[in-house]
Amino acid sequence: MTPEKLKLASHVKAINWNRIEDEKDVEVWNRLCNNFWLPEKVPLSNDIQSWATLTPDEQLLTMRVFTGLTLLDTLQGTVGAVSLIPDAITPHEEAVYTNIAFMESVHAKSYSSIFSTLASTKEIDEAFRWSVENVNLQKKAQIIEGYYYGDDPLKRKIASTLLESFLFYSGFYLPMYWSSRAKLTNTADLIRLIIRDEAVHGYYIGYKYQKGLEGLSAERKAELKAWTFELMFELYENEVQYTHDLYDSVGLAEDVKKFLHYNANKALMNLGYEAMFPSAVTDVNPAILSALSPNADENHDFFSGSGSSYVIGKAVNTEDDDWDF
Amino acid sequence: MKASKDMPAAWEGLGYHELNAMLNLYNADGEIQFDADKAAARQYFLQHVNNNTVFFHDLEEKLDYLVKNEYYERETLDQYTMNFIRDLYHHAYKKKFRFETFLGAFKFYTSYTLKTFDGNRFLERYEDRVCMVALHLARGNEELATKIVDEIIEGRFQPATPTFLNAGKAQRGELVSCFLLRIEDNMESIGRSINSALQLSKRGGGVAFALTNIREVGAPIKQIENQSSGVIPVMKLLEDSFSYANQLGARQGAGAVYLHAHHPDINRFLDTKRENADEKVRIKTLSLGVVIPDITFDLAKRDEDMYLFSPYDVEKVYGMPFSDISVTEKYYEMVDDARIKKTKIKAREFFQTLAEIQFESGYPYIMFEDTVNRANPIEGKIIMSNLCSEILQVSAPTSYNDDLSYAETGKDISCNLGSLNIAKAMDSPDFGSTIETAIRTLSAVSDMSNITSVPSIAKGNDQSHAIGLGQMNLHGYLARERVHYGSEEGLDFTNIYFYTVVYHCIRASNLLAIETGSSFAGFEKSTYASGEFFDKYTDGEWLPQTEKVAEMFEGVHIPTQDDWRELKASVMEHGIYNQNLQAVPPTGSISYINNSTSSIHPVASRIEIRKEGKLGRVYYPAPYLTNDNLEYYKDAYEIGHEKIIDTYAAATQHVDQGLSLTLFFKDTATTRDINRAQIYAWRKGIKTIYYIRLRQLALEGTEVENCVSCML
Repeated sequence: MTPEKLKLASHVKAINWNRIEDEKDVEVWNRLCNNFWLPEKVPLSNDIQSWATLTPDEQLLTMRVFTGLTLLDTLQGTVGAVSLIPDAITPHEEAVYTNIAFMESVHAKSYSSIFSTLASTKEIDEAFRWSVENVNLQKKAQIIEGYYYGDDPLKRKIASTLLESFLFYSGFYLPMYWSSRAKLTNTADLIRLIIRDEAVHGYYIGYKYQKGLEGLSAERKAELKAWTFELMFELYENEVQYTHDLYDSVGLAEDVKKFLHYNANKALMNLGYEAMFPSAVTDVNPAILSALSPNADENHDFFSGSGSSYVIGKAVNTEDDDWDF
Repeated sequence: MKASKDMPAAWEGLGYHELNAMLNLYNADGEIQFDADKAAARQYFLQHVNNNTVFFHDLEEKLDYLVKNEYYERETLDQYTMNFIRDLYHHAYKKKFRFETFLGAFKFYTSYTLKTFDGNRFLERYEDRVCMVALHLARGNEELATKIVDEIIEGRFQPATPTFLNAGKAQRGELVSCFLLRIEDNMESIGRSINSALQLSKRGGGVAFALTNIREVGAPIKQIENQSSGVIPVMKLLEDSFSYANQLGARQGAGAVYLHAHHPDINRFLDTKRENADEKVRIKTLSLGVVIPDITFDLAKRDEDMYLFSPYDVEKVYGMPFSDISVTEKYYEMVDDARIKKTKIKAREFFQTLAEIQFESGYPYIMFEDTVNRANPIEGKIIMSNLCSEILQVSAPTSYNDDLSYAETGKDISCNLGSLNIAKAMDSPDFGSTIETAIRTLSAVSDMSNITSVPSIAKGNDQSHAIGLGQMNLHGYLARERVHYGSEEGLDFTNIYFYTVVYHCIRASNLLAIETGSSFAGFEKSTYASGEFFDKYTDGEWLPQTEKVAEMFEGVHIPTQDDWRELKASVMEHGIYNQNLQAVPPTGSISYINNSTSSIHPVASRIEIRKEGKLGRVYYPAPYLTNDNLEYYKDAYEIGHEKIIDTYAAATQHVDQGLSLTLFFKDTATTRDINRAQIYAWRKGIKTIYYIRLRQLALEGTEVENCVSCML
């Protein structure tokens, strides 16, 4: 599947941020920069006591969920976001993808921070071994990876959006679930920072996909739409299996599936398509849905965590007028 | 257990967490689902509390069991007859207390109530906790015990967490909330501080340290240059000490450190909170505060350099610790003194750095040094504040012998708090009596506290009997009365309310002085003794400026100039018992139990998303909020910093200590906006600024559908 020649952006010009073709590029770039964070900022060690209250099954599940997420973030950081660069329409779009790629690697690394804080090396190694051996996890990575190496730029964006906006969420469910039960709340803070990023990534790549559709023939559009739903369905089938693999041991699989439906619709919406699942099967547990909001507005208690709401600010000098007293 | 009759069919089978989370999601008609939260509270009792509460046949059996098994202190109950205790419990249960929200109930049963030692079953209901608090603090006085029960259970007065959590329990931490200690520039003092951090965290409550006197990076040790490592390693030691000790797991140890703006390590100190700070210097869980004198503003106004002074040299030159010098007064003298080593930075850049760090982390807090000291009625200097920036008291340094024993025990600060629910206090049948009971309750906590592990704290408490009466639910009350927060009427109310409160606080403390025949140490050198404190109240007339507020005070007597003259005479003759009386804390947890908006600031959101280690993520509706009065619940980000600062300024003039003032900004704000707010606050006579909170909204297109907190 690996191409013979490395594909790179064909000709590079010096990027001029003073000539903007698509305002969305600047908006998203600024948002991503403001949202920059590193896992070191979250006091994960405050979760050690809480970790000890989980049953062995629950701990195992949590470790596996995070190795699964690590794999997806690694894929998106080292292949996914980078593979979108050669197809970029504007130079600023290229820059945004490099930012996305880097943050995906930050995400991938932050799971390791969680592991090393909560678990022993042996447990960590076993969880990673599981991630290599789990058929359904490997399959979803392979499906997406296949399109990343393929030659259709729009299909690459579709695959990427489905990964960002759909595939992550079977894993994101768990930390949200724990935090609604007052467990691993600092870990949940970190995951919410990741969700905050992924929400923007999925939205942006989906947006660029819709830009790419502009001016295409009705035929080609129809073909891509059909292909999207087909791929979504294939991934969904696999995701259901994966969900059972993970969550059957704690009896949450049915609830997670509703969450999958909800996010599948959300991913399709990012691509500009209608929902695939009727609202009857997307009634996600309100505790999870409310926790999902990427708004940074929770009123946390500073003594137990750093929260997920601080951003890097814009520095502006004060003027003499400001000091007029 | 059958679900309640008035619950929609669609909610059947939902757990209480799910029902509570529905508060954050609109229903099909676009309305907030308050009923879901009520149902959540009901289900919480049906599904969890009732099943997990230990059953007793009667009160005697229960109290007997709890004393025998070392859950309750026998001494507390032995002060009363069984008849009285039975009547008191009966009286409390007759009030038919119900939690207004799920979070109120959840918070109480998760964090406050007495549980079996294995942590699995509840031994107290809310009424039981209230009675034990009252019995413990009234120390045998039946009349006071009854009054305390009335004030707490009717929601007018709520003791702070350490008191409400611990009183009457046999296995417990201290009743006091808050400790403030000085560190002097020697290894004995630093070592003792680590010890104090451990001891005080173990007993619960937050601890703050002043680092201002510690010599800077590169300062000489034993006259050899470039030896000292400055304040950062001390911060690291303190941070680790706090995370090690917690109060039986009930409360995480928490600490703050304050540094003067003109300390040479100030930039290093601030950089510990940078997003990209190196792990060796990054401070994660310690809170930071900066002490800023007026001179810094003057220098910034003129866009000049600001000089930073070596505390080591200053102490040598002046013979007293750096913190005890007024930098504003001595600034140019120190600049000209060649014996004092100094570095310089641009004053405006300092303020900008401050704002940048606040953007990234919410820290540091700010204490306006000269404002605080001008308003201080007590002799001595205030050099720091505390973990919540509302405690402002004078202190004196401690010195040690070589074996770490105390050469001269100084005076460090402790403070116990409790807050009035403004709405309920305004509804009180006797406003003055409500405050008097609160002051008596708080003074009892001070009398009963003796922190022997830190002698300077014990001494400070003995001498000062300092307490801090706070206030909460201002926004809830104003909205209930259909007054906008920060409006002309809102400010008018705040002014007259706090004016009335300060009168009754001093009156009650004066009564205590008469009863006990003693005043706090140093009373005779205070402006209470000289009478100067009362000038603004006896010389000027304080009246409501708007009709609406005059109406709101119908039934509550507003003190007249004659009332003040009488009080002044009595105070000058008999003194007052408490060195400090008021401090307005941020009120997190207790305002949920008490169904209040926090402190006197606006709601952060109509439906607040609350996240805590012990609770997880829970949703809390603003008190008295309905789908019909939403307009009175503009949140703090919409209201903006000016109205918040104006409200705090109206209150500050009547409060002897501080008020935790959080500033709220949208993420479109820049560092300049934050600086402007700081300048405005300083000009308005604000004493301290607590956190800077930022709200970033989801990028359009990425938000969750029908989410209440996403829409504005």
